[in-house]
Amino acid sequence: MPATSFILRLSVNGDPRECAVTPGTTLLEALRYEMGLTGSKQGCDKGDCGACTVVMDGQPVLACITLAMACEGRAVTTIEGLARHGVPHEVQDALDQSGGAQCGFCTPGILMSAWALLERNRNPSRDEIAQALSGNLCRCTGYTKIFEAVEQAALRMRAARGER
Amino acid sequence: MSQEKPRSGTPAIPTGRAMPREDRLSPPNWPEGRAAAPNGTFSTIGKRNRKVEGLAKVTGRAIYADDITLPRMLHAKLKRSIHAHARILSIDATEALAMPGVHAVITGKDLPAWFGIIPWTEDEQALCEEKARYVGDAIAAVAADSERIAEEALAKIRVEYEVLPAVTDIDTALSHPEWKVNEKAAEGNISKQVFLEFGDVEGQLAASDAVVEGDYWYEGSTHAPIEPHCCVAEFDATGFLTVWSSTQVAHYLHRDLAKVLGLPTQRVRVIQPVVGGAFGGKSEPFSLEFCSAKLSMITGRPVKILYTREEVFYAHRGRHPMRMHYRTGIRRDGTLTGVDAKIAIDGGAYSSFGLVTTYYSGQLLTAPYTMPAYRFDSTRVFTNKPCCGPKRGHGSVQPRFAFECQLDKLAEKIAMDPIELRRKNFIGEHTRTVNGMRITSNGFLQCLDEVERAAGWSGKFRKLPYGRGVGVAGSMYISGTNYCIYPNEMPQAAVHLRLDRSGRATVMCGISDIGQGADSVLAYIVCEELGLELRDVRVVAADTDLTPVDLGSYSSRETFMCGNACLDAARKLRHDIARVLADAWGCEPAQVTLAGGIACSTRDPQRECMSVKDAFQRAEAKLGTLGSVGWYQTPKLGGDYRGGTIGASPAYSFTAHVAEVDCDLETGFVRVKKLWVAHDCGRALNPVTVEGQMEGSAYMGAAEALLETQDFKPAAQYHGPGLHHGPSLLDYRIPTSLDTPEFESLIVESIDPEGPYGAKEAGEGPLHPSVPAIANAIHDALGIRCDRLPFSPPAVLKLLRAGDARAEWERARRPLAAAGAR
Amino acid sequence: MLTIPVYQWVRPASLDELLAHLRDHAAESLIVAGGTDAVPNLKHRLHEPEFVVHIGGIAGLDSIRDERDGLHLGPLVTLSELSAHPVVRRDFAALGKAASLVASPQIRNMGTLGGNLCLDTRCTYYNQTFFWRESLGFCLKKSGTVCHVVPQGKRCVAAHSSDVAPMLIALGAQLDITGATGTRTLDVDDFFVGDGVHNNVLKPGEVVTRIFVPATSRGLRAGYQKLRPRAAIDFPMLSVAFATRLESGVCRGARLVVSAIAARPRVVGGLETLAEGMPLDDALGERLAGAAYKQCKPLINVPYDQEYRQEMVPVFVRRAVREAMGEAA
Repeated sequence: MPATSFILRLSVNGDPRECAVTPGTTLLEALRYEMGLTGSKQGCDKGDCGACTVVMDGQPVLACITLAMACEGRAVTTIEGLARHGVPHEVQDALDQSGGAQCGFCTPGILMSAWALLERNRNPSRDEIAQALSGNLCRCTGYTKIFEAVEQAALRMRAARGER
Repeated sequence: MSQEKPRSGTPAIPTGRAMPREDRLSPPNWPEGRAAAPNGTFSTIGKRNRKVEGLAKVTGRAIYADDITLPRMLHAKLKRSIHAHARILSIDATEALAMPGVHAVITGKDLPAWFGIIPWTEDEQALCEEKARYVGDAIAAVAADSERIAEEALAKIRVEYEVLPAVTDIDTALSHPEWKVNEKAAEGNISKQVFLEFGDVEGQLAASDAVVEGDYWYEGSTHAPIEPHCCVAEFDATGFLTVWSSTQVAHYLHRDLAKVLGLPTQRVRVIQPVVGGAFGGKSEPFSLEFCSAKLSMITGRPVKILYTREEVFYAHRGRHPMRMHYRTGIRRDGTLTGVDAKIAIDGGAYSSFGLVTTYYSGQLLTAPYTMPAYRFDSTRVFTNKPCCGPKRGHGSVQPRFAFECQLDKLAEKIAMDPIELRRKNFIGEHTRTVNGMRITSNGFLQCLDEVERAAGWSGKFRKLPYGRGVGVAGSMYISGTNYCIYPNEMPQAAVHLRLDRSGRATVMCGISDIGQGADSVLAYIVCEELGLELRDVRVVAADTDLTPVDLGSYSSRETFMCGNACLDAARKLRHDIARVLADAWGCEPAQVTLAGGIACSTRDPQRECMSVKDAFQRAEAKLGTLGSVGWYQTPKLGGDYRGGTIGASPAYSFTAHVAEVDCDLETGFVRVKKLWVAHDCGRALNPVTVEGQMEGSAYMGAAEALLETQDFKPAAQYHGPGLHHGPSLLDYRIPTSLDTPEFESLIVESIDPEGPYGAKEAGEGPLHPSVPAIANAIHDALGIRCDRLPFSPPAVLKLLRAGDARAEWERARRPLAAAGAR
Repeated sequence: MLTIPVYQWVRPASLDELLAHLRDHAAESLIVAGGTDAVPNLKHRLHEPEFVVHIGGIAGLDSIRDERDGLHLGPLVTLSELSAHPVVRRDFAALGKAASLVASPQIRNMGTLGGNLCLDTRCTYYNQTFFWRESLGFCLKKSGTVCHVVPQGKRCVAAHSSDVAPMLIALGAQLDITGATGTRTLDVDDFFVGDGVHNNVLKPGEVVTRIFVPATSRGLRAGYQKLRPRAAIDFPMLSVAFATRLESGVCRGARLVVSAIAARPRVVGGLETLAEGMPLDDALGERLAGAAYKQCKPLINVPYDQEYRQEMVPVFVRRAVREAMGEAA
């Protein structure tokens, strides 16, 4: 029995987007296969690994267990939307510099969780960073250089805004 | 000298291939050597550089296999056996084929050719024809318009099975040879046996002042890369097949695709996209690659297969469970005497790299300590479970665990500090192991010094309050080996280097970057030799149409072998350019340097200079279009006996760890507070990526020690034997950011004479000592010996209650305190 | 990809619309709020409903109201919102802690209080793909006839896995159930039944519409301790919730709840004699640990050592009491 298609309308990375989905389509499928935004990754497809993390209305969520149709009218930010006018965000640049991206597959999800943290806390402790990333599994790095990157990014963001 | 006990059932290795030929290819011998900087000081090497693909990864633009979509692409899925062991009596796909949106169904008879990564043990088929050998073994494939339709079609395929008794552990495999898992086994369920003896083990043990005997169990584990396997195949109208696959071994995949599909190798192209982690789990061909290709051939459309996370567990090829029994002797002065090992290896349903695993279970233990006599007797068996294979530290992590625990027990017996014991038995540099392996550079002593210092060992060992402790362990590992999987005398790695008049260099190499930074290593080398900036170097990798053959990312061979090939290619061009400029300036070529974008003479750098780009153009005008080839072949290495080349490496890395633990006495929970990791990588071409490998390896080792298990359900009433207990990342637990120890990376550089700028491996060596260091730390903390993995809270609690742990803990402290240990 | 079965999408704009749909289609409907439990279960084909009824965004169900009589919580309050709310942190800190320990930050942003309360029970033989369960031969809870945990048993013993539920019970919380015939209020303790297949009293057509923590539970000395292999993501292998009023230095109305060991949270009995009128101290912790150990027998329904979880019951009870004392566990 084929499923009925609907047009989903939402904002993705600041752009109004429309795409065809069925009731059983997840947000991750809609992003990756309908909208061509392949930056968000499928690691486990059931909410265990965090590779599909996107930010919806300011909060990190798991796109693989979010039903696309529940996102009607919502605002989603994906990894593709983190850079501003092509300039990588401080946390992206810091992760590149620190060596916190090895295979890179967990990286988009990690960056979305880290970005959301930095948006609400510009001076996170290492423990707060570890807490914020506790839903993002990384198999390559052992997390050390990821923590360093987030701390570096926070430092740079505070400096840019004249904070100490 | 070795003694090999003849065993029936061991597959015969054809004569003449035991040792490489005398007229073997040999890479250029640079008079200046390979280790030094071309211009006196390094400009790129040794600096904390970014990676060439780093920006793409942090902006989500890196293209992995599942990011690829081709026009009219179909989706395929595999039907898998629900039984651990069953004959396939019939497969009826009529109903599936009749479904709208279904384009093709294939079964074993469509891909009957046997394959296997090791040519002597080709015991796999892309789809099982006669028999399924584990729960999850692939038996059919469907191509359809969407994954959903393919999945619905799978449900409509009717399979008739005759269920057979399932073998799910080593003892059953050995005691029931009539329950034959794998028909290619010559005898019962024996996959491979290796018996090797060097020196007089019994004599040495008899002459020891103390002998420690122990039983160890190393639990199986899997790689769990965050990216599942994925493959896209396109067979075009000219009969040309292109395959994009998340693989570490594009070359071997290339060969096996051609063989199994019956295509000439010239009509097949394998491209490795960015790979999201592999760790050895993607170092051989898998069903999805053959099936997507075959379905593309049948339908004339591109076909994609993406494994679900569960299917990744069924593909497996992970750490072999090993049951090990060691006897180790020592003299009162701390020198080792003899080592005897008996090892049983659970191989799962197929061979995979099993032949190598069985050798590695013994061959890689003979350094960093001198062993006057050594013997190992290893048997790998087949069981009806997903096949085991190479996981980071292939076949040597398990014996290293047992042996480093043995050393700790020996140290206790003779009241010697365990670091001191390891120093005492240091094998040295530029020497040979008892089994004929050539050791060149060896920074192990510095590694011990580093972790001893950084961890504050002397203030902690046997001095911390009950529940807290420190432990040490050491290891060594190969930087690639002699053994090139299929017999041939051709180079193991190669680079084509092009210099462009626009001032760019392009490095083409079959190298497989799986996240470790391999592509970038080539770029760093080119930058160093030719004075370029990183962003002016393009690396084209792992595309069998465009890049010369590299055997792949396994056995920690990429930096050493591809790096050397790249060094040669780049150096040839540097010398060519230097000669052209020397002519123009009237100086010696040795006086010409290329660094920091400038080509100049050392005698008059202000006036005799130009940009590197101009230098390229000058050279192109004089010599014609610029390009060079570099390749690498290992020297003749290894012991002169059957199997003597397996484990023979042009350079070995060395590692030492200290672990500090804090144990919860009520729950048995062991928190590894910190791991100090000292690793001799020869030279860190980029300390950032070397540290990344050290930390990542230590992370993976700690995870095996504490969390990971491959449990297979006991038989349920109708089904269930050989069913993986939790094929998901929820049930198969890898540490989160909150579970991971703190790591401190301490790079040691022994400057290898044969590695590129002195570099050796860093990708697998640093995993080994973490497991025994943690076990030894637990002993220091609690007075219990964790001889079985994992050191889970229930296991630790059981050990705490089994005897008088506290008394053992106190006893262990007395001799050292009495001896006034520092 | 794990594909989701085909169903019809229903998104009621109000509680009335929701109830109207359920009046006719309750049996074939799956209610989804945050989806963090329902969607993985759909992917596992544990549910193949005709309708998925998405209730996220229904007005009035996501509020947190701090009133004189107590704290009124809507079922759609997310776990993140709950644990961060200033009144929760001030007056019901252990509840906030329980909510903050669920899964991962992303799942807490998505998952709701109502969803966690109504979490489907879990078992190693149940929470698997269709392929896996077919290989096993299915189980009593879904598509089969045998319980693989208790092979001779006739009842499903899948484990209760909610973190908020035992804490709410210990806090004496209540909830409202609304259906076609109106709304009824009951203690959270009475919401659960010991049936692994369906472990609460919701009838088809009914939904939880309010969770209420009475003012008398403000400032109770409380503790929540969770045992799990990792410090994030994992469901509880064992959890202990303890709460008591402290009046003139002695306990009044203490409650102890042990969970994740059976299909419903287990309220440990005998506190009238073991705790009432007695000081909140380690000796109390010892007595309660003994009682809990006798009364709570974990089953091998989650992937961890059964014997071990039993041994941990008294350990975690003592820790929960120490937490309530304000001491480090």
